Parts: sequence; C-alpha cells; structure tokens
Amino acid sequence: MNLVLSDRSLACLEENRSDLTYLDLSKLKIANCVGCFGCWTKTPGRCVIRDDAVKVYPLIAASDRILYVSRIKYGGYDTVMKTILERSIPVQQAFIRLLDGETHHVQRRVLPKKATIIGYGELSSADRQIFCRLVERNAKNMCFESHTIHFCSEDEVEDVVRREVASWTRS
Amino acid sequence: MDKVLILNASPRAPRSNSKEYAKLFSKFYHGKTEYLDIKRTNHAALIEKLSDFSDLLFVFPLYADSIPVTLLNFLKDLEQVTPARKPTISVLINCGFIEPQQNDIAVEMMRLFCKENGYPFGSVLKIGSGEAILSTPFQVFLNAKVKKLARSIFLHRYQVFQVTMPIPKRMFLKASSIYWEEYGKRNGCSKEEMQTMLIEGK
Ligand SMILES: Cc1cc2nc3c(=O)[nH]c(=O)nc-3n(C[C@H](O)[C@H](O)[C@H](O)COP(=O)(O)O)c2cc1C
Repeated sequence: MNLVLSDRSLACLEENRSDLTYLDLSKLKIANCVGCFGCWTKTPGRCVIRDDAVKVYPLIAASDRILYVSRIKYGGYDTVMKTILERSIPVQQAFIRLLDGETHHVQRRVLPKKATIIGYGELSSADRQIFCRLVERNAKNMCFESHTIHFCSEDEVEDVVRREVASWTRS
Repeated sequence: MDKVLILNASPRAPRSNSKEYAKLFSKFYHGKTEYLDIKRTNHAALIEKLSDFSDLLFVFPLYADSIPVTLLNFLKDLEQVTPARKPTISVLINCGFIEPQQNDIAVEMMRLFCKENGYPFGSVLKIGSGEAILSTPFQVFLNAKVKKLARSIFLHRYQVFQVTMPIPKRMFLKASSIYWEEYGKRNGCSKEEMQTMLIEGK
C-alpha cells in the first residue's frame, strides 16, 4: 500500500485515487500521547485514547511505501506530524532487540517500507542537518528499508509532492 | 542569586522518571531550585517566571528520537516572547534504550532553539536506560552524574555528561524483558498477549 501523510492539505491529491491513500492530519482529531504504555502492557497493539490516531497507525504499519509531508521546527517534525509519530508506538512491542548493535523495540506486523520525507519551511542548514540525522534514527524505529528526504519552501510543497508521487507510478 | 527553574516536559510529568531525575537534581544543587510541570494550559504563567531565574533546566524523555510534543509546543510559545532576562538553558534528558547517545538529536534540537532565540546554552545530562536505572543498584552512577550536572550549572562551567547502566547489551535485553513482563502482569496482561503481532486487532 502507498500512503501519504501530510500536516497540510495537498490540492494535488484531493481527488480520489486508487493507487494511494492520502490523509491530511491537520483535519483529524489526534491528542498527544500521554506516555501510559497501555498500548504495550494493557491493550497490546491498541492505544487507549480512541481518537483518529487509531485509524492512522494501522495504515502506517500496512504501507510499504510512505510519504511524510511535514513542516520542520528546530530540525525536527513540527507538532502535527510529531503528534502522530508519538501516537504510533502501538505498532511496536515493549520488548527490545538488537538492531545494528543498538537496542530497539520489536515491531508488530509492520511492513518494511520505502520512505520519502518532504520537510518544508524556512530552513537553515542546521535544520537540514539535524533533520537528516533524525530521519536516519527514525529509520531504525519505523522500519524504513530506505529513505529519501526532500527539503523545500512552503510554496514548493505541492510541486515536490506531485513529482514524488508521479515517480511511484513509473517504478 | 543563582536560581534554577526546573520544567518537566514529560507528558506524564506527575508520574514520570523525569520527575525523579528533577528531584535528584534539586537535592544536589547548592542554590535554590523551583520545580514545575509543563501543562497544556500553563505556558504563559511559566514563561512569566523566567526572568527570576539564572538557569532553566528542562527535564524530559526522548520521544520518537526527538523532543516530545509537550516540549515542542512550549518552545514554540516561548519563541513568541522575549523575557527581560534570558536564563541559560540546560537539558536533562532520558531515553528508554540503553545507549545515551540516542538522545543526541533531541539535544541538538534544544541547541538550535537556543541559538535561534538568543538563549545561552548550558549543560546536558543524557541518560540511557532511563526507564529502569532508578530501580537498580546502578542508581549510584546516576547520582554521581546528576551531582556533576548540578555542580556544573552552579559554577556556570557548563558541560555535557552521560550515564547508563554499565551492563552488556544482551543482559539489558534480558533485564528489560523482565521489567516489561512485570509491568504487563500488574495490568493482568501476559507476555504472550504483549507479544501480539496484531495492530488494532488486525
Ligand atoms: C511515545 C513514546 C516514544 C518514545 N520514544 C523513544 C525513543 O525514540 N527512544 C528511546 O530510547 N525511548 C523512547 N521512549 C521511552 C521513554 O523515553 C522512556 O520510557 C522514558 O524513561 C520516559 O520518561 P518519563 O517517565 O520522564 O516520561 C518513548 C516513549 C514513548 C511513550
């Protein structure tokens, strides 16, 4: 499955498409993770907060190609995207394994994925540097088998998304 | 007079490991400290207090390899105001995994916030195995590092420290399995149930 998660609306994906699932996170109701670990130790695989997030993390788990579109703040994802990433830990188990010599959680039924991240905003070189390192780390915790990052200004987002998604249909 | 404002940015601040780390810090710091939780609705009140403090210490967990949304949202509000005096910002971060370096990105984000907004950056303590270390004999190593952190801030000789449980990773895997199994048991959840591969039942 191809999935696009965006923190803003993307006019270029508004029409119904059979080849991908697109979610504008800014239109969903998603509360902050409260760090209760219920999704690991009480109702494994399910978040105890029953808002829109519970529809999103199963999609993340089931996708083998994913595009994240997020504004960047202090070199990381801004609030909207970061909130769903934090709420997505039900896709992992509490239990820890070694991955490339480092400790990481065991994943539940999560497909390995090709990830593309479009980070937008008025970005300094420090923003870009930190963000690249962040995604490198995310890759280990979020089952990215490969990842590509595109940086752009807010005005350019639609163009970059269009190009990225077009490249999916070609490959 | 040197005074440290300690702000807890854990989403579960009242029951957090961060709170315990903050308590240790207050115990070892030779000057005055004040401790408060960051809540969704108290940003303005916290920001108003800043000018009374020489130092600001954020205590928080690593969330998805970076700073938790609770802290991100607070920083975005802080960015909107310029306090009369900008305290030096230090960081006490803990993560669940054993490697304290997994906290590095979050620390860099804090440095970037400080640089962009003209706050002097102070000391850092990165804790690995932060979910577990408090309940092990290795707390003595933790205490020693928190003491060093407190001293560095008191003397304005800012430094970077790190600490974790000094055990092989294989042993950490075993210990963490027992820790989580016990956690589940208290909730009436077996190891097998916790190991389900299903997400939302599918
Ligand atoms: C949503 C969420 C995301 C987390 N992400 C990470 C992570 O990326 N790396 C890590 O080592 N620990 C991670 N943890 C574990 C916490 O950092 C760890 O449990 C910490 O001790 C919590 O501190 P606190 O009690 O002060 O909130 C995460 C925990 C939660 C709830």
